[in-house]
Amino acid sequence: MRLLKITKWELKNTLWSKKFIMIFILQLGVLILMMTFFNSFITGIDSEKGVSLSPSLSGFASIAVSDNNTILVNRINKEVLNIEKMDYKNSFARLKDGKITTVIVIPENSQKKVKRFQTISVKLYLNPEDPKQAVVLKEVNSSLEALSASISEQWIDSLIPSGKSANTRVKEEKKGESLPLQLINKMMMVVLLFLPLFLFGNMVVDSIVGEKERKTGEILIAMPLSHSDIIIGKNMAIVLTIALQLAIWILILLVAGFNIENPLLVYIGVVSTSVPIIGITSAVAAYSKNYKEAGIGLSFIYIIIVGFLIVPALAYVSNGSKWSNISPMTMIIRLFSGENTPAIDFLIPIFSIVVVSLVSYLISIKLFKRDDIVFGPRPGIFRLMLDFLGIKKGSF
Amino acid sequence: MKLLALSKKEAQDILTNKIYLLIVIVQIFIILGSFGLGIASSIVTDPELLDRYGVASSLKVGISEDLKYSSIADNLKEQNLNLSFLKDINEADELLGSQLVAVIRVSPEGDILLQSDTSNVFYPVVFEKINTAIQKYKLERKLEAGGLSSDLIQKIENPVVLNRITVNSGKYTDLALNSSYFVEIMYGFIVPFVLLLPFFLASNIVTDSIVGERERKTFEILLMTPYSSTLVIIGKILPIFTFSMIQSILWLILLDLLGVPIYNALILMGIMIFVGLAFIGLGILISMCVDSTKEANSAITLVLMFASFILFIPLFMKIPYFENIINFIPTVLMVKMASSPSFEPSVLFSLVPTILISTLIFGLTVKYFRHERAIRL
Repeated sequence: MRLLKITKWELKNTLWSKKFIMIFILQLGVLILMMTFFNSFITGIDSEKGVSLSPSLSGFASIAVSDNNTILVNRINKEVLNIEKMDYKNSFARLKDGKITTVIVIPENSQKKVKRFQTISVKLYLNPEDPKQAVVLKEVNSSLEALSASISEQWIDSLIPSGKSANTRVKEEKKGESLPLQLINKMMMVVLLFLPLFLFGNMVVDSIVGEKERKTGEILIAMPLSHSDIIIGKNMAIVLTIALQLAIWILILLVAGFNIENPLLVYIGVVSTSVPIIGITSAVAAYSKNYKEAGIGLSFIYIIIVGFLIVPALAYVSNGSKWSNISPMTMIIRLFSGENTPAIDFLIPIFSIVVVSLVSYLISIKLFKRDDIVFGPRPGIFRLMLDFLGIKKGSF
Repeated sequence: MKLLALSKKEAQDILTNKIYLLIVIVQIFIILGSFGLGIASSIVTDPELLDRYGVASSLKVGISEDLKYSSIADNLKEQNLNLSFLKDINEADELLGSQLVAVIRVSPEGDILLQSDTSNVFYPVVFEKINTAIQKYKLERKLEAGGLSSDLIQKIENPVVLNRITVNSGKYTDLALNSSYFVEIMYGFIVPFVLLLPFFLASNIVTDSIVGERERKTFEILLMTPYSSTLVIIGKILPIFTFSMIQSILWLILLDLLGVPIYNALILMGIMIFVGLAFIGLGILISMCVDSTKEANSAITLVLMFASFILFIPLFMKIPYFENIINFIPTVLMVKMASSPSFEPSVLFSLVPTILISTLIFGLTVKYFRHERAIRL
């Protein structure tokens, strides 16, 4: 009951704060921006053409083309290359000055050459000083391959009677979703779902370090509450706030048309993952002297947590490895993708959530119980670890 | 002299702050990590580079043992693919996705069935290689049936010859990897990202400097000194701005040393000055709207997220409606400038909105600061 009182009090303080409401709305703004980005990626994907995750600046490199018979110019990818009409007076000077990336010259009599079965010699002038020449070279090569294939077909059709020509049919059967598509579909969605968990670190720090900085910790400890009531009560309020934000977050994603299978299980899974994350955050906050120190500690700890969550999930997306189930992020991916998952695969992340939660809360409570940590002089981490292991006599 | 004294004190605060120095070191790791990732992803996506580094031979493609000496097998070997000859082609179904990236079946009529595992990281490259081999096979089959002379066959197989001619042959760019993907990812994203990183930190230092002083109750004392508000704010931001600018220049040199030559460094610095002013202006604005470091941190995180969207999303997305606006976004200008050996004066025109918006943000926040003096009763 006392624990609930702390939770109620913390929640009331948070939800009645105008600044919290403003930050809450801004966070929703970030979500909507991310959704727009995500949606544009998805709509821009044409799996037949393949998916690229590279920057897509139109007109990144430029090319001056001399192609009177327009046999090549229409095959060049205009989304990547800025095509200029060749001007013999200026184009070469502009190439030398680095103002255009390349110049390509198709012989004026190219059409006649095709009719006479003569090889077409294309000249590509490059400025080796310009790094973008690699981009142009790739685009030109693929355009020329298409042109070559078309001329070869034309020649074969006129040289070999249609009845004699062997026509090979090619059929492709694809298995699995392409990796970039999976990265966009699965990883981006899971990142969106896990984002709220990392936006509340400041709240945990404020509720624990804030008490130390505002010198209200003494009053709190003097109250008829146990240390575990204080830590668990405060953290429960934050988990509930995350649960609220996540509910709104998932609702918006569903309304926006994102396909989330098993939304309730996904919701429960993400909220459960927030418990150990908040536990670890509160352990860092309990040990920190001030906001700044807690900030650095959290930055490093969050890098490790994100690594623990994301690396196995990436491994799962790329090769479906078994050990990737250790991360709750993998569990969420499998849940929202609607995969048939054996129950044993869910036991591993649930076990990791429970173990990390227990250990982190235990450490937070132990740290908060120690007067030298709350009021100072604070012992170093090494000494603390020795105390914890019972090597030196201490409060642990 | 007053300005110098204040700037010196602020500079000392920055240089003795272990967190800021730690973040500088973290940035070096970010740059090296991004560079390494750029190299690795370029190799994975480029068939030529895969061949050069000997990775292509580990890409296994299944084919029936009957086709061991066929032209399709020769064409696939020419593409440096590692062929796995299967006695029973039906076992390929089990191996596809685990040991094989693709399986090729040829019917007695000569038609080809290509089965591929698209979820494999090397699928795009393997597909490109297999496609080249199949196209060659198709052409060979057609030519075989026609009974043409070998000279004519050779001509039909290569109707277009590309001659590469280099101008400015004395000057070469010292690129770490001459690959299309590497150039796109490095210049199209990593360069503006790395050069702007210190300014993301700058807005944090500004809030820390103003809100921190307010929390320590030293800001009121500073305002009571015979320094004007303008002097106080310039004295505070000058060292932060210089600290960030020095970092950006160092990262620019580091990228150059890593094999990503940066052109038009002076113009880039000009762009960074104005973008930096906007970031610092936002930092001042946030400092005046919040009561504590905690609030400042939350607000700055969100503002930087929005700024990242505006600055970096246009690099990855094609938005036809905003095509004309995109060319005025500072990161897009940075990409163009950093990768061009020449300087186009028209860029200065594109820079006008950045200059105006940054000066406006900075000017307004300084004016607001002079009016409120960051104290709210």
